[in-house]
Amino acid sequence: MNPITKIVEALGPASYVLQAAVASLIGAALLLAFIMGRRAARRRYFGRRDERAQSLRRQLPEILDGRILPEAWRRDPLDDRILEEILLDCLEVAAQDEAEKIRFCLRISGLLDKRIHQSRRRRGWRRLRTLVILGRMRCPEAIPALAEGLDDSNQQTAIAAARGLGRYAMPEAAEPILERLEMKRLRLPANVLQSVLYHCCRDRPSMLLRALHFTDDQLRPLLARVLAEVASAELGEDLVLIASDPLPEVRASAARAMAGARPRLALAALQQLAADSEWFVRLRAVVALGILQDPRSIPVLLETLCDPNRFVRLRAAGALSRLEGFEEEILERTVRTRDRYALQALVGEMQRSGAMLAVLDGLADPHRRSRSRRILLAAVRAGAPRLLLDAVVHHSNWRVRTQSARLLAESQEPEVLRLLRFYSTDALHPRNRVLFSWLERRLQTATGARSEPDGAAPSGSSRPAPRRDNLSPAADPALARENR
Amino acid sequence: MNTVIQTLNDALFLYYLVSNLIYLFLLIFAVRASVLHQRILASIRLERFRASPFSPPVSIIAPAHNEGQSIAQSVRSFLTLDYPAIEVIVVNDGSVDDTLDVLTREFQLLRTDLAYVQEVPCHAVRGLYMSQTEPRLLVVDKEAGGSKADATNAGLNVASSPYVCVLDADSLLEKDALLRVMVPILADPEHVIAAGGIVRAVNGSLVEDGQLRKVRLPRRFIEVVQVVEYLRAFLVGREGWSYFNMLMIISGAFGVFRRDLVRAVGGYRPAAIGEDFDLMVRMHRRLRELNVDYRACFVPDPVCWTEVPPDWKSVGKQRSRWQKGMIDTLWPNRDMLFRPRYGRIGFIALPNLWIYEALAPLIEIVGLASILLAAFLGILSSHFLLLFLIFGYAFSTMLSIGGVLLEEITFRRYNDWREVAKLLLCCFAEHFPYHQAHLWWRLRGMWQYARGDVAWGKMTRVGFGEAQAKQGAR
Repeated sequence: MNPITKIVEALGPASYVLQAAVASLIGAALLLAFIMGRRAARRRYFGRRDERAQSLRRQLPEILDGRILPEAWRRDPLDDRILEEILLDCLEVAAQDEAEKIRFCLRISGLLDKRIHQSRRRRGWRRLRTLVILGRMRCPEAIPALAEGLDDSNQQTAIAAARGLGRYAMPEAAEPILERLEMKRLRLPANVLQSVLYHCCRDRPSMLLRALHFTDDQLRPLLARVLAEVASAELGEDLVLIASDPLPEVRASAARAMAGARPRLALAALQQLAADSEWFVRLRAVVALGILQDPRSIPVLLETLCDPNRFVRLRAAGALSRLEGFEEEILERTVRTRDRYALQALVGEMQRSGAMLAVLDGLADPHRRSRSRRILLAAVRAGAPRLLLDAVVHHSNWRVRTQSARLLAESQEPEVLRLLRFYSTDALHPRNRVLFSWLERRLQTATGARSEPDGAAPSGSSRPAPRRDNLSPAADPALARENR
Repeated sequence: MNTVIQTLNDALFLYYLVSNLIYLFLLIFAVRASVLHQRILASIRLERFRASPFSPPVSIIAPAHNEGQSIAQSVRSFLTLDYPAIEVIVVNDGSVDDTLDVLTREFQLLRTDLAYVQEVPCHAVRGLYMSQTEPRLLVVDKEAGGSKADATNAGLNVASSPYVCVLDADSLLEKDALLRVMVPILADPEHVIAAGGIVRAVNGSLVEDGQLRKVRLPRRFIEVVQVVEYLRAFLVGREGWSYFNMLMIISGAFGVFRRDLVRAVGGYRPAAIGEDFDLMVRMHRRLRELNVDYRACFVPDPVCWTEVPPDWKSVGKQRSRWQKGMIDTLWPNRDMLFRPRYGRIGFIALPNLWIYEALAPLIEIVGLASILLAAFLGILSSHFLLLFLIFGYAFSTMLSIGGVLLEEITFRRYNDWREVAKLLLCCFAEHFPYHQAHLWWRLRGMWQYARGDVAWGKMTRVGFGEAQAKQGAR
């Protein structure tokens, strides 16, 4: 008997441990060998492929001009595959004339015919791959083959065919899809269909409008969504017709489409949609009105600013804040609505869009000052004093700082006094401390509030303010200078 | 007595056999799912999604608690993510360091009076800040809620996009990670309600300016073991469960959810220890109760790099917390077990989690005691014991190797063969003493939960490519 076997047998049950340890080591070594072998094989393959790819890239001009005949490279399967990849990659970024040359090469080399043939003969994953390549070729001859792919029972293959058609970005590629949709023969994920139709119908959106009349209620919202993205002036007043569609999703898309196409009757139709019973239709209409930026829409936007739905309110506020030159009128009319939510939404949106910052800068300009003061005072009274408080602390223009402080004092809002205590003045410029101290006293006097003892106030409120009793901008030389 | 012990030993053997067979089954289908995913990826062009007006906007929510050192870098990396429409919401969760000051300085924040509506519960919001230089950034300053769930809820309240992506503020996302994780959602937005990417350990890798420059394995054994664990958990476990539409967890470090659904289930549970797991279970519950056809997907290629604990003590704390989180979620949802209305979730996914995850430490310790008792009573066959140990060792090693091989065949992030060799060796070596320590940590977690100790504790972090240690509160 072999001495090693004898030793193992002598170990008894412990021999299992030994055997397991040896098996583990052998297993690890084999796995490592497999991984390294695989890596080496891949390195070799990719090295060879890169070498051939470089060589073929060098010869590409001759290949495209036909100086090197397709027979020279079609015979070698590796060259065939590499060159097809190179041609397709070049096609992605090629200009019009260069793209035509590449497509010509794909045609005369037989690569296109080969792929069309394969797409009809192959099944499963291989057919899917072929359809992807056909899509990348963008040769109109392949459209029927891709359209046949739409009928594949495997959904992934049908998706690949649809995406392939989408790459053509031609109305002709959309036709087989719309045809199948009308006949209810195509069931693809909505996002894929939307994307494909978006690319294919951009040049002829009327195709979608026509299809809208023939498809069922399940698909019409989808087509309307695409139409909303591609709508152009070409559609004209036809768009207004779908604004009265029974489906709210279609009406919402019609509103979006009108913002893009801007038909003559858009404003009237959108004003009607802004009073729709569905909140998202109103929302879309308000967004569209915001895009049109027509001052005639102010009354209807002010109405939607008091909408029961907060998203509609916010969008209306956004639309109103973009109407330049009407800020004061809008704010005044919003104050008159006595709707605090509406006012807050408007002021918030004006801050977000930067309109309020522009108004703030107007405080430094003698010509714009009175208008800016009115707007900002309305904003403070609407419950948005933080903008001015921040301006007092941070604004780069000292005149704006002092004017902001004056406005805050003038507002006599107790809320300002409360917020003032949260601003730490320890790190402020001495002139700023003077401003803060003055503002605090003015507000205390106006509101009759008593300042809290130092120990009870938040940490930021124990500020070492100058002890001057009758400080006012006029009395303080620094403030007076800034106000001149 | 002898019969009882013998039966216990046999039951233990059966338990391990079934547990490993489940994992083997998952491994096989994970390979299939990976191959399918690669094929589908080859048939689509991500650039199309990038340029499409139909790609839905995503709100990125990044809760930050005392992240002053890294927050600016993280926010910049989120803003450069390759996706057509994003909104970045940073939630400053009562930081006591300069997190808010850093953000204010770097992004010129301005306090705004935007309307804030609290739809899901969270601690009081102190203010909302918008950037004057970056309109896509919104900062929520709130009082410390003591949990990531609370901070994320504040972000959910201000999120305006139909999808929310929840991240850790100290994570690193690859540039196209969001686009890739959105692929299943974009392909089927009607059914896919959530998608999660893979989380990998960044320890040892080279990070510069918030970008991962070179992927390397860490040096310490405890870190390499975690790399193997993550590969096994994500590439085998989650990929496999996702294939059967029974994904029960989408990592809190990187996941995308439908916002309306998250709000409908009440957002994250602020008191939850494992908030990500808890949210997914509640989402499953709700959708099953509504009898809706839905999918939660795992996507293996979008990568979120995160720092794993670098020492035994921190790993122990983290694993104890995970165990507590698991029980904390499973126990309130125990009524879902074996109820027909919850379908495969109630009959397969949850029982599996109960038996092979939550109760595993107890079963293992009982098994160990039974074996020792059998040895003491002299009824243990040494032949059986050794075969049992070797079987357990070989099977679980094979599963770990499966994870590493799947990584090698599909994604190959570790290019140096020596690193792959290191990973393979770690698959063999993780069973001692790491496995025993892991058992102890999980038992400790159970004990702590039973005593009501549900604190998160502190985790030691070394930082991305930095030598100095920093302390994060979680």
